[in-house]
Amino acid sequence: MKKAIVSVIGHDRPGIIAAVADVLFVSGCNIEDVSQTILQTEFAGVFIASIPDSLETGELVRRLGEKLEPMGLAALVREMDPAGIWGAPASEPFVITTLGPDRLGLVAGITELLASFGVNIASLKAVFRGGVNPRSNIMIYEVDIPSALDQNLFREALYERGRELGLEISLQHRDIFEAIHRI
Amino acid sequence: MLSDREVISTLEMLRHEHLDVRTVTLGISLFDCASGDIGRFTAMLREKICRIASGLVEVCDQVGVRYGIPIVNKRIAVSPIAVAACAMSTGQMVEAAVALDSAAREVGVDFIGGFTALVEKGFTSGDRALIEAIPDALASTERVCSSVNVASTRAGINMDAVYLMGKTIKRAAELTSERDGVACAKLCVFANIPEDIPFMAGAYLGVGEPDQVINVGVSGPGVVKMAIDRARAANPGIDLGELSEIIKHTSFKVTKVGELIGREVARLLGVTFGVVDLSLAPTPNVGDSVGEIFQSLGLSHIGVPGSTAALAMLNDAVKKGGAFASSYVGGLSGAFIPVSEDLNIAESARKGFLSIEKLEAMTSVCSVGLDMVALAGDTSAETLAAIIADEMAIGVINRKTTAARLIPVPGKKAGEKAFFGGLLGEATIISARGENGSSDFIRLGGRIPAPVQSMTN
Repeated sequence: MKKAIVSVIGHDRPGIIAAVADVLFVSGCNIEDVSQTILQTEFAGVFIASIPDSLETGELVRRLGEKLEPMGLAALVREMDPAGIWGAPASEPFVITTLGPDRLGLVAGITELLASFGVNIASLKAVFRGGVNPRSNIMIYEVDIPSALDQNLFREALYERGRELGLEISLQHRDIFEAIHRI
Repeated sequence: MLSDREVISTLEMLRHEHLDVRTVTLGISLFDCASGDIGRFTAMLREKICRIASGLVEVCDQVGVRYGIPIVNKRIAVSPIAVAACAMSTGQMVEAAVALDSAAREVGVDFIGGFTALVEKGFTSGDRALIEAIPDALASTERVCSSVNVASTRAGINMDAVYLMGKTIKRAAELTSERDGVACAKLCVFANIPEDIPFMAGAYLGVGEPDQVINVGVSGPGVVKMAIDRARAANPGIDLGELSEIIKHTSFKVTKVGELIGREVARLLGVTFGVVDLSLAPTPNVGDSVGEIFQSLGLSHIGVPGSTAALAMLNDAVKKGGAFASSYVGGLSGAFIPVSEDLNIAESARKGFLSIEKLEAMTSVCSVGLDMVALAGDTSAETLAAIIADEMAIGVINRKTTAARLIPVPGKKAGEKAFFGGLLGEATIISARGENGSSDFIRLGGRIPAPVQSMTN
C-alpha cells in the first residue's frame, strides 16, 4: 500500500465530501485523515488515503476529475513520499494573537518572522473585516516554539514586528487557554 | 485546536477586565532560625529569606510573561515572630522587624507578613513583647505587616488582647500621624486566622505549615462584574439564580489560572505548592472593584438595603466555582470589602450609604471583615477595642475568619479624607457612633468563653 494526499477546492455546496469519498471508495482507497474548512463561500478539503499499489496516481486524478469537474471543483493528488519529511524538534505550544486594523502584508509580516525563527504554525485562523471590533480583525496562530529557542529574543522580535505592522500582539503558553475554558 | 471564542474571551479578560494573579506569596519558616541571641536570630533570618526568596520576583515575572497573566504582587510570609523569637524583648522585636524589612527590600518584595502573635487564649512573654513592639516596628519599617489573632471559635475571645490591640492601633496611628496613621494599614486583628493566607496584611506562615510553600491569591472582581453585565445585557429576564451560576463559572476560570500559575512558580522555585485563596480583592482602579459588582447586581450603591444578601450570594458563588477548580483552596477565600482600597466602596462610604454598622453586617457573610476603615483620630482605644470585639464575635460565633483593620486617622474627623497611597488607597473617615459608651465593658477584660457548637440558631 502507498499513500496519497488529495486536496479539493471550489465553491462550497452539499455533496463535495460525498463525491470525493465515493471516488476513493470505488477505487479501493482507504481514507485515513480528512480535514475540511470553509472560508467565506469557498470549500477546501484535504484527504490522506492509502491506495492500492495497482492504482496509478494519474488514474486517480482522472477519476476524481471526471466526478468533480462538473461540480466546479478542482482536485490535486500527490503521492506521499516518506523521504524528506520535516522532523519537528522538541517544542512547546504557544498561541499568538494579533489585533489591529487590516492592511497589506500582515500575514506575510508575521509569518516571515516565525519562519526565520523556525517556529512552526500548527493552526492559523485570521479574519479581516475592517471596522473597530477586535473580533473582526484578528489573527490567531497556534505555534510550536522550539525548546532550544531563546524565547525572550523571539518574544521581543515578535513584539517589534507587531509595532511595525500596527498590531497589538500577545504571545501566551497554550495551557492558559485550556485552564480557563476546559475542565 | 482552540476555538476563536476561547482565545478571544481570554484576551478580553486580560485586556479589559483586570484578570490577573493578585499575589504569589512564598511562605518561609523561621523556626530553624530561633535563637536566644537577637544578633544571631536576625542574621539567620536574613540569610534564609534572601537565600530562598532570591529568585521569587524573577521567576514570577517570567511565568507571568510566559502565560500572559500578570502576577501583580510577590510577597513573603514568615512564621509568627512571637513564636520564632519568643525569648526576645520589645526592643529586640523591633530589631527583628527591621531585619525582615531589609530582607524584603533585598529580594524585591513589597510586603513581608508574619510579625504576628497568636493570643486567642492568652499571652506568652514573646506575644506581649511583640504586641508592644508593633507600633514602633510598623512605624520604622515600610514592608513589614503584622497580625494578631485574638479570638477563635474553640477558645473564645481574649478581651485583654482586644483591649491591648485597641491601644496598639492608637499608638501605631500616632507614630505615623504625618501619613494619616498608615502604620495601621499594615496591622490586622483576627478571629480564626487561617495559617495559609497569601494576602496582606494578614499573611503569615502557620505553625503547621511546611518549611517553604507557595500560596496564591487570585482576584478578579472586574472579570465577575463584566460577566454579570454581559449576561444581563444578553438576557434582560435573567434572575439571581442564573446570575449566581455565571459568577460560579467565572470564579472557576479565575481559580484555574491561579492554580496553574502558582504550581508553575512553585515548580520553578522547587517549593511545595500550598493553596489557592479564592478572593475577590479589589484595587483602587476603575474596573477592579468589588463595589461595582453590587451595582451590576442592581443596587445603587454598596451599603443600601439588599447589600448583605447580594454579598452572601456573591461570596458563596465564588467559593463554589473555585472549589471545583482547585482541590487545594485555603486562606481567606471570599470577597473582600476594604473601604479605602476600592474606589467604589470608598465613594459609597463618602456618600453615607455605608456605615460601620452595615459593613459589620456584611462581614458576617463574606471574608475578612472591617477592612481599611478610616475612623476619626480621636476615637478612643476603648471604642476601637469594642469595634474589634464586635467583629471578633461575628467570626467566633459563625465559625469563620473575621478581621479588623482600623485606622484612627490622627487629627482628622468624620467626613474628612485620609490618604494612604498606592494600593492602600484613600477613604472618607466614617463615624463610630457612641464614643465612650463601651469603655466600662472593654475594661472588664478576661476571656469571653468559646461558644456552644450545637443549638445553632
